[in-house]
Amino acid sequence: MATQVFSIPKSLKKDVKYSFCPGCDHGVAVRLVAECLDELGLKENTITATSIGCSVGLYDFIDIDAIEAPHGRALAVATGVKRANPDKFVFTYQGDGDFASIGWAESMHSAFRGEKLSAICINNTTYGMTGGQLGPTTLLGQVTTTSPTGRNIEYYGYPVKIAEHIALSEGTAFSARVSLDSVANIRKAKAAIKKAFEVQMKGLGFGFVEILSSCPTNWRMSPQQAHERVRNEMMPIYKLGVYKDITA
Amino acid sequence: MVAECVTGKKVLMKGNYAIANAAIKAGCQCYFGYPITPQSEIGEFMSGKMQELGRAYVSAESELAAINMVIGAVSTGVKAMSSSSSCAISLMQEALSYATADQLPVVLVSVMRGGPGLGNIYPSQGDYNQATIGGGNGDYKLIVLAPSTVQECIDLTYKAFYLAFKYKNPTMILADGLLGQMMEPVEFYDYPYPEIDTTSWALSGAKDRSARVIRSYAPLEENQCVFLDNLFKKYELIEQNEVEYEEYMVDDADFVVVAFGSMFRNVKSAVKLCREKGLKVGAFRPITLYPFPSERLNSLADKVKKILVTEINMGQMVRDVRLAVNGKVPVLFKGKGVGAMIDVETLVEEIEKQMGGV
Repeated sequence: MATQVFSIPKSLKKDVKYSFCPGCDHGVAVRLVAECLDELGLKENTITATSIGCSVGLYDFIDIDAIEAPHGRALAVATGVKRANPDKFVFTYQGDGDFASIGWAESMHSAFRGEKLSAICINNTTYGMTGGQLGPTTLLGQVTTTSPTGRNIEYYGYPVKIAEHIALSEGTAFSARVSLDSVANIRKAKAAIKKAFEVQMKGLGFGFVEILSSCPTNWRMSPQQAHERVRNEMMPIYKLGVYKDITA
Repeated sequence: MVAECVTGKKVLMKGNYAIANAAIKAGCQCYFGYPITPQSEIGEFMSGKMQELGRAYVSAESELAAINMVIGAVSTGVKAMSSSSSCAISLMQEALSYATADQLPVVLVSVMRGGPGLGNIYPSQGDYNQATIGGGNGDYKLIVLAPSTVQECIDLTYKAFYLAFKYKNPTMILADGLLGQMMEPVEFYDYPYPEIDTTSWALSGAKDRSARVIRSYAPLEENQCVFLDNLFKKYELIEQNEVEYEEYMVDDADFVVVAFGSMFRNVKSAVKLCREKGLKVGAFRPITLYPFPSERLNSLADKVKKILVTEINMGQMVRDVRLAVNGKVPVLFKGKGVGAMIDVETLVEEIEKQMGGV
């Protein structure tokens, strides 16, 4: 007798071609989000807002109602959805440029207001969709198409530590930074996403997860090298952990 | 104190409060806004009233956020609005482009002040182009309704909610600082339009149906062409069905003065004075700035000898009048950069001067 131990989550579309680059962690992140929606029984009661960047394509893969927000405005759109429908589960799925640069005001103020929303932010230290330019999270010394000799403080200033900032807000119920570079870390990432969803379901406040992600295409690396970079270069600066959890 | 709006009872009210009260009576469930003179009374009133009624109110961090919150709320089929003015309406242009592409029933009130830039808080009609041509990217149209009395602020707020949902298109009420701040007697009545069913498109969670996506991203050329063809078929329908205008003594007129919004009030008085002097003058007011009453203006041009357009700007609507008239008769312009409406005496003088040769 065969026992099925692995299947496609109900919250994922079955018949679509996944268009993320080979080795990109977006695919894993989308799957974790879908698994959490399944396990919390949220699929039929959820509306998501994605905004521009590689993350916008979530609606192509996930089998739930979705709206595409302008660049940076996912949390404003999500605020509108949630305030109009307090009984719905509402989350955003965004990149770091979207969340922490063009959408910084919307992101921080959603946390300040304590919106009953969950936000997932993929941090890959670059603008991926547009071909790898310097973003708010680009590390010091990192070469991108708009920092040809590496990020220096004089021209570009410092990288943004998103999860720490979100944790400072009194309206935040949960803020964590996770990574997808190993099985153990993927498990922790899923637990964090679930927690960020649960604080919304309990009406406790804003739930946030920053996910460190590889971008092999724009980093000009193999998938394996990219995960090594996540471990060796990103994690010392962007330390993994739970920065705020009012349920703990 | 804002007068209570009992149906059928005459009350004295500011334009801004009239718009806010009408929105509430129209069933607006969510208000998202950021303060700016001369429309702050709308947000102030809404903050208390919406909470009292258990509806949604958010003091947004910016106009960018406010209009995107409206997008979120209306994407679920709920009536929602924002209000703002001139330089801050500029901040909303991106979202208005998205909302037209997403075919969402956004309602936005624009109470015009002086510009460009920070300008000042005097009344102005300087955002006619911003409203009708738009500052967002791509081919799109807003439905634009321009009241000229406080009573009409109520009528057109009701209508804005109806048209926005009927056509799934952002709809703007274009008022000005004078109208927003002025008090007039008004009479409220119940929302007169049918409720539009949104269940075929609104986001509500994919329960017992497949998932819905509200999006404007169309990576393929052919898809975007089909989308735009369909969008413009909708605009053709709007142009056929929704043109609204007011005429005053145009039947036997040799000379017609065209104005919109507050400016029309003085135009009407000037025409009355001219008639007393025996001059055959009429007045014409587009109520819908989009769809613009081009056909009617074109046929008026068959019987009048000259048209004079007056606006509190440097000449914006005059361009649409000229396009409508298409060279049949001279279309003259009398404008003023900003501030109080051009006074009746000046208008009469201008009409007499221009009619000299008629």
